[in-house]
Amino acid sequence: MSFEDTLRLTELMLAFVIAQQSLEHLSVRHSPWLFGLRLVCCACLAIGVFGPVAVWGLWGISVLMLHRFQGPYNGGSDKMTILILSCVSLAHLAPNVFWAEMALAYLAVQLVLSYFVSGWIKIVNPEWQSGRALSDVFRFSAYPVSEGLRDWADRRLVLFLMSWAVMLLEVLFPLTLLNAQALQLALLCTAAFHLSNACFFGLNRFFWIWLCAYPSLIWFQERVFEVAIPVW
Amino acid sequence: MLLSLLRLFGLLLPALIPSWRFFKTVAPSPRVEYRLFYRGSWGEWCEDRPRPARIGTLQMIRRLFWNPAWNEQLFMVSCSERLIDTPTVHSAAELARRIAQTLPEHEVDFQFRLVFLSREEDQIIKSVEYESARISRAEALA
Repeated sequence: MSFEDTLRLTELMLAFVIAQQSLEHLSVRHSPWLFGLRLVCCACLAIGVFGPVAVWGLWGISVLMLHRFQGPYNGGSDKMTILILSCVSLAHLAPNVFWAEMALAYLAVQLVLSYFVSGWIKIVNPEWQSGRALSDVFRFSAYPVSEGLRDWADRRLVLFLMSWAVMLLEVLFPLTLLNAQALQLALLCTAAFHLSNACFFGLNRFFWIWLCAYPSLIWFQERVFEVAIPVW
Repeated sequence: MLLSLLRLFGLLLPALIPSWRFFKTVAPSPRVEYRLFYRGSWGEWCEDRPRPARIGTLQMIRRLFWNPAWNEQLFMVSCSERLIDTPTVHSAAELARRIAQTLPEHEVDFQFRLVFLSREEDQIIKSVEYESARISRAEALA
């Protein structure tokens, strides 16, 4: 995938995902002018009219939202939204192709870190190693979307296996950069992981916004590793 | 002005250089409870926006595309945690406004509290970490 195609695909996905977030905000009566303007920027970005201005506008609105809610409204998903917008904005502001590519490469590296770091901090924690931490998430955390899901807390073997599957996937994720097919398979697995989080814990925004960063990583892998490591 | 900008930069920085430490530990988890002041006395505490007993597969799929109420509930969890870690008028006001929106539409006063659930050995422990003053519904919505 070329750099231009990657940037455009990221922008298109971002436009739809931010529009979805904005409609949710409007439905619960949050600052109509702010989220209305955000929708207009998304429309411009999707159809490619005033694209760079729309991206900078969306970035500016994200900063205003940080002020309005005194922090992220939706934790990590808002942080990822701002990170992607920042990288895409910088790619448009870059004086030449090298710096534009660096902006998108930063996003790709952060996506890899998002999996590796969160896997590493779990795998060194005895509570996660035993499956107890995931059991606690189901038993008393604020995340399960129904009381019925709390019964999962007692499925110790299933949670032990799920914990290790997630930790290994996250920690080994950087290695998949060495091979394009391995990366594609890993991205399918991480997408399935986000999907399960959306179903069990209602984290729908995480699912969509993390997908928006995937094209940058596919491009990055091709750009850096496929050139550096010849395939025999 | 300078302080506001610095604070805003402090909020922006973790998004530009994220730590990605999701679920390092399972921290004590907040629940928001409220009670109404009615005819000169306080009523019982009740949980704000209790979870449904079950959610069907179709509803789960629908929520993948449209989940504003749950995302608002997650914001209330963030506000509850912020209110304990770094208390601000903003967090208390955001919680009060969202509770007030669900109350019956007549003049009523209410109070809310934050109950944190945690595990000690095999027991789930509940502790009340914050209790608001008496708030009027109209004031909370203003």
